[in-house]
Amino acid sequence: MLLEISGLTKYFGGLAAVSQFDMHVNEGEIAGLIGPNGAGKTTLFNLVTGVLRPTRGKVMFDGNDITNKKPHQVAKLGIGRTFQLNPLFANFTVLQNVSASFHLHPRSSLLDIYFNTATYRNNEAYILEQSLEILKLVGLDGVKEELAKNLPHGYQKMLGIARALAVKPKLLLLDEPIAGMNPDEIDFTMTGIRKTRQQGTTIVVVEHNMRIMDLCDRVVVINFGKKITEGLPKEVRENQEVIQAYFGGEHVA
Amino acid sequence: MNNNQLSKPATGNSKWTKPAIAAGVVVIIAILPLLLTSPYTLHIFILTFIYTIAAVSLRTIITSGQFPLAHGAFMGVGAYGAAMIAKWLGWSPWLTIPLGGLIAMGIGMLIGYPFARLRALYYAMGSLFFGMAIIYVIWAGGSWTGGYSGLTGIPPLFPIGTSKVPYYYFFLGLAVVSFLALYRFEFSRIGINLKAIAQSHLVASSVGINEALYRVLAVGVGCFFAGLAGAGYAHYTLVLSGATFSFMATLWLVMYVLIGGVNSFIGPIIGTFILVLIPEFARDLKIYVPFISAGILLIVVYIMPQGLVSLPQLIRSKFFERGKSEKVTNAP
Amino acid sequence: MELAIATSTNFLILSSMYILVALGFAFLFNMLRILNLAHGAIYMVGGYIGLFIISTLGLNQWIALLLATLIIAAFGVFLEKFCFRPFVGDFNRVVMVCVAIAVILQTAVNIIAGTKALALPPFVEGVFKAGLVSVSYERIATFAIGAALLGVIIWFVNRTKWGQQMQAIAQDKDGAALQGINVHRISALASFIGCGLAALAGCLMGAYLRLGPYMGDLMLIKALILVILAGIGSISGIFVAGLVLGALDAALPVLIPGAASDAVTVSIVIILLLIRPQGFFGYEMEI
Repeated sequence: MLLEISGLTKYFGGLAAVSQFDMHVNEGEIAGLIGPNGAGKTTLFNLVTGVLRPTRGKVMFDGNDITNKKPHQVAKLGIGRTFQLNPLFANFTVLQNVSASFHLHPRSSLLDIYFNTATYRNNEAYILEQSLEILKLVGLDGVKEELAKNLPHGYQKMLGIARALAVKPKLLLLDEPIAGMNPDEIDFTMTGIRKTRQQGTTIVVVEHNMRIMDLCDRVVVINFGKKITEGLPKEVRENQEVIQAYFGGEHVA
Repeated sequence: MNNNQLSKPATGNSKWTKPAIAAGVVVIIAILPLLLTSPYTLHIFILTFIYTIAAVSLRTIITSGQFPLAHGAFMGVGAYGAAMIAKWLGWSPWLTIPLGGLIAMGIGMLIGYPFARLRALYYAMGSLFFGMAIIYVIWAGGSWTGGYSGLTGIPPLFPIGTSKVPYYYFFLGLAVVSFLALYRFEFSRIGINLKAIAQSHLVASSVGINEALYRVLAVGVGCFFAGLAGAGYAHYTLVLSGATFSFMATLWLVMYVLIGGVNSFIGPIIGTFILVLIPEFARDLKIYVPFISAGILLIVVYIMPQGLVSLPQLIRSKFFERGKSEKVTNAP
Repeated sequence: MELAIATSTNFLILSSMYILVALGFAFLFNMLRILNLAHGAIYMVGGYIGLFIISTLGLNQWIALLLATLIIAAFGVFLEKFCFRPFVGDFNRVVMVCVAIAVILQTAVNIIAGTKALALPPFVEGVFKAGLVSVSYERIATFAIGAALLGVIIWFVNRTKWGQQMQAIAQDKDGAALQGINVHRISALASFIGCGLAALAGCLMGAYLRLGPYMGDLMLIKALILVILAGIGSISGIFVAGLVLGALDAALPVLIPGAASDAVTVSIVIILLLIRPQGFFGYEMEI
């Protein structure tokens, strides 16, 4: 098991956003986390990555207890993520967004950076090369000198994913990666997700859009901060009465 | 492709345009004492150099997304630290000036650490109050700091009776060295990380950037140069008073940065020169002089909010290029 | 005993004055997120205009108080429309314009009145004596006016339609606008009241202490402290914070002489800020 969440609970004041949540993710799989708005999916990501501190519970990643670690420490251990509202480095160019995200690999020490040593220059050259490759992979190399804030929405989301890949994550957490994309972009992203898994990255995807289930090896359903059910996409889909009740009958097939 | 492309700011036509202009400006300023021999003029320029160092280092902290309102007080920490060590322990000003910088840096980082988790406005207010606390401590310092009456008898940098000229070159040199150091800080990956944190601390920490570390680092570096400038000031004017480093001083440093342009490295330099020199030239207006400063502020606020650095771009877009959108970049 | 009485009355007066000035500051800040750094200067100018009306126009102090308040309140409306409203959201420009206004006001006062110590004549003469207690009527009047005004403000904010609209705008400006609230008009009203309060406090303090072109600088700091301690969006918090700060500023100098008491006060403020940045009653804000 690459990621193991046990008994994770988060209270905001008197309200439990996430309650006694258990989940595990095996290495190499694509796991889906679905649930209606406000179910606690993003809160869960925030708890795992250290943006929020859990009230109770434990998170183990790759043999490490990351329950109370800070976000940058979690990133260093190998978890990358995208964000639902997709914040970016708005005033950086597309290229700068990705290259700035190469903070961890390769890592130059502060002294190397400041005194512009050969190590630093080599690292920067490598980073530039890798950044351009990632941009080519996600199809953004044509706009690499554009300011991130000037990009259309779909491109911005791609940039968010590109940025997360720069961390060279063992585990990639995608928070609603295809929300707001047109069908072509969705196809492209889903292919990209598959390719990324092929390269050995484990992926957890949060989505509303049911098409994502086609990608997933396993699906976990969450609502009101609790796990409702989990299983193969087919099983979960057939558990539709439960799902329908929470979705109120509207979903994109 | 140039491997330092990302850490280099967008330049003009060639990689050497901007450095060449900068070198030219430095040379011109260096020759000035030969042309303008009035000690008072030299004095004004010396003060300008000192404030420029403080202004540029203030902006360095701002690039990390924190808006400190205690920079004047940190100049005071450096000033009083250096002056007291030189006066009471007899150390040479050549030692105490960098030491003043280190003391300011130490205190800055010590306070910067708990403050680093405060967001935006709260950080600004917290630093404001801390700056005031420093001034109160100086005033309550009894005979050590001279209390309300100020500290006198500070050992000078150059022997008594030296003209202003060596001081002029010393502070010009100090300013140039400081700018080079801060420039490298900003345009290396360190500066990129700071700007990343400023734009989105969520994204920055998700790619492994240690937010607290970088924020404290920025504050430390910024405060070092504030302390350095203050310590230099102390060994030049030889008399210190707490009022010199009060919140008003900090506020004016902030004005220098904003007037010049907070998004540009040379912004604070331009801002300091304009806001210090122009009122000086208008000195004959005596008590009406502050109106000039206020006027400059209003002009920038209403006409060029990006600061005076944006003036060439503004003229170009108004008169020469129609329909081109203004890009906000991080170029100097 | 004498000391205790003096300290207590000092405490009451300082608290009420701080709260008056901070309320005006808070109105503008809560609603438009404008940090009016010129508020101290406005407070100061209010006092000087009061003096001017009394000494040059020869009018009665109470009329002067009223007129000065109204004039500055009107000025507040002008400020809101031309200097604050265009720059809502742009912190840099707001800071610059406020400093410019403060400098203009202070320089103008400096030119016209000079830096010599002036004071407004007391509003009420005489001393109240009862056994060991002896307090000037001036102090009593200052506090009474302050307290009465605060009562009016509480009533206004909680009971009137306008006050409620102000609260709505402070919590969600766009939402309030969508509800049909005229944000511009209410902001102008807030500025009118806020600056008026500052001017009134300026006149009262000008009689209690004395006037000086830079007396506003310190008041601005007090207002900032109160707003931060109270928490953004909280009016009742300002009362609590005002009492706390007034107590500290009245009592500490008696125990610790000189600037050290100020150092202690501001250190307490810093610690409170670190423990609870959102203030006593404010709500968390992502700024």
